Amino acid sequence: MKLFSAMQAVAITGYSTVNACGLGNQALLAALQINRTALAPLQLFELPFTTFVGEIREPLPEISSELSLYRSRNARVALAALNGPDDSLRSAVENAKARYGADRIGVVIGTSTSGLYETETAYAMLLQQDRMPDDFLFLTRHAYQATARFLQLELGLTGPCYAISTACSSSAKALATGQRLINSGICDAVLTGGADTLCRLTLRGFKSLELISAQRCQPMDKNRSGINIGEASALILLEQAAEQSKPFPQLLSVGESSDAHHMSSPHPDGLGAVLAMKQALQLARLKATSIDYLNLHATATPINDQVESLAVHRVLGSRVPCSGTKGITGHTLGAAGALETIIALLALKYQFIPGTAGLDHQANECPCHIVKNPLPNQLLNIAMSNSFGFGGNNASVIVAAPS
Amino acid sequence: MNKPVYIKGSAICCPEPLALLDAYQLSSLPVDKTLIPSTLRRRTSLATRIAITAAHSACLQAAADATTLPSVFASLGGEIQVTDALCRLLPTDEALSPTQFHNSVHNTTAGYWGILNHCQAPVTAIAAVDDTFAMGLLEAWAQLQLTNENVLLVCYDEEWPQYLAPPIGQLAFACALVLSTNPSKARAMITKPKTEVVECAFDPAWTTLAAAAPAAAAIPLLRALQQTPGNIQVPLNSQKAIWFSHCEIFKHD
Repeated sequence: MKLFSAMQAVAITGYSTVNACGLGNQALLAALQINRTALAPLQLFELPFTTFVGEIREPLPEISSELSLYRSRNARVALAALNGPDDSLRSAVENAKARYGADRIGVVIGTSTSGLYETETAYAMLLQQDRMPDDFLFLTRHAYQATARFLQLELGLTGPCYAISTACSSSAKALATGQRLINSGICDAVLTGGADTLCRLTLRGFKSLELISAQRCQPMDKNRSGINIGEASALILLEQAAEQSKPFPQLLSVGESSDAHHMSSPHPDGLGAVLAMKQALQLARLKATSIDYLNLHATATPINDQVESLAVHRVLGSRVPCSGTKGITGHTLGAAGALETIIALLALKYQFIPGTAGLDHQANECPCHIVKNPLPNQLLNIAMSNSFGFGGNNASVIVAAPS
Repeated sequence: MNKPVYIKGSAICCPEPLALLDAYQLSSLPVDKTLIPSTLRRRTSLATRIAITAAHSACLQAAADATTLPSVFASLGGEIQVTDALCRLLPTDEALSPTQFHNSVHNTTAGYWGILNHCQAPVTAIAAVDDTFAMGLLEAWAQLQLTNENVLLVCYDEEWPQYLAPPIGQLAFACALVLSTNPSKARAMITKPKTEVVECAFDPAWTTLAAAAPAAAAIPLLRALQQTPGNIQVPLNSQKAIWFSHCEIFKHD
């Protein structure tokens, strides 16, 4: 494969999340610092089996009446992240809009579910009455682009707008696209990230693949038995790097690759994962020894964790401290890449290494340096986050503390 | 940054006869079943089959090596038929099919393309309602400016159940372009896609078709490639905030 040239870093001038830990970055930080799981039994709807999920219990904001066509749980979760507890991300977008103009700001959002949750309810009526409910709106609620378009309209932006949907790597790939749109001069800023919400199809689908754990998930543990699904929105504002962006952290690169192996199982030797991490390092002009912390994909299925640790060991060796945080938030699928990039950013900002909630005894077949309990008072400059999805779609994100 | 982007190969796969293609003298390929081994074929949707047929043909035409080619798959609804079948089971307690589930993700076609070609290059899957083709071209254009010398762009949608978003999904349509920053053997050069405010009338036969099959937004560009050498402005979508690219057609061989 052609080896890529380097990629210009872009500034991360705002980020915000809502997830099972609560609303805003501080709620996530508080859970990470004490390794507190937010996984609990599902309340949102009924399932024909038991599991734990990362469900958002915060009241979600209402979509404004002007944008009611876009009303869905997915859009409301994204709006909650945008507003946060203090509107700081929204202010950052407003500042960027004033600086560059609405047409110079793109919106690229990763999602795997979009508004599928509402569509599922509509199908119950379709099967009973042979027609969709009168308020069923596929294009503005369920279509992949719906949440991105909602955010664009909510913020009055007019630049390029699209969804990336590559399963569990979606929002990591959205970061890649955001960086490209800026570096190629198409945009000056891009609101990226992801939003994914709990729904029956994904939970029952993962169950059919025998990948759902009935207990709280145990990433990298010798007794790990599968995934807990979660929901989240994690939004990240990227801007071209400039003098005034020096106080902000940076997105250095996103390495991307394909397994070319199987639709739902990783390549047994982790070749795609190796390639994504190597490419991320190369695009950022970094050596493996520069990585101070790696947030693993670590879904807690037997095969995924084994293959990922082999790949990590091959690229980064056994020195780099790694942790998997899905035992805290659940696997938030299309939002996971951006959510875990925010976890990496919090690790850099507060100089700590998150732990791996749910891990008791590290599996022998997972040979990397896995951090079980959070480590405070670390010196961290550069962090990586892995996301791997169905279709063998891989992405590794590298972020850096302010220079 | 504004590296020229060249078109080296193009193809259409539309399984139903389409008057507009005849009127524009555009040829459409029949679905090539031999491209997907029988073990995988029974698992793949019409969306995947038409997209892979068009992608394969565009790569052949461009003499592009599909084993190393990064790609962008753009589709409004992706695997909508599989998703529909799964949604119909949800009100029951019936178990879902694991194969159907992993084949319901938006990057299913992209995943199969990579598996079939043993291609480990990056592949992305995007969606943008009416702007799906325009945003696909923009994504490919950005990749070509920065990291990739060649990019495959595939834009497709299959037939949809008509209770979802009529008239969308009335017919299946796929097209593919091989784009490159290398001018050797190029058929045309295109400029960066951008929105322009212009007063122009589009062929209503095309706008009607694009409303029913969003991937058919690519038809003006595909048609331009057949025309005599010269410069032409082509729309990339037919709805408001029109995206355009300027296209310079080269002499045919």
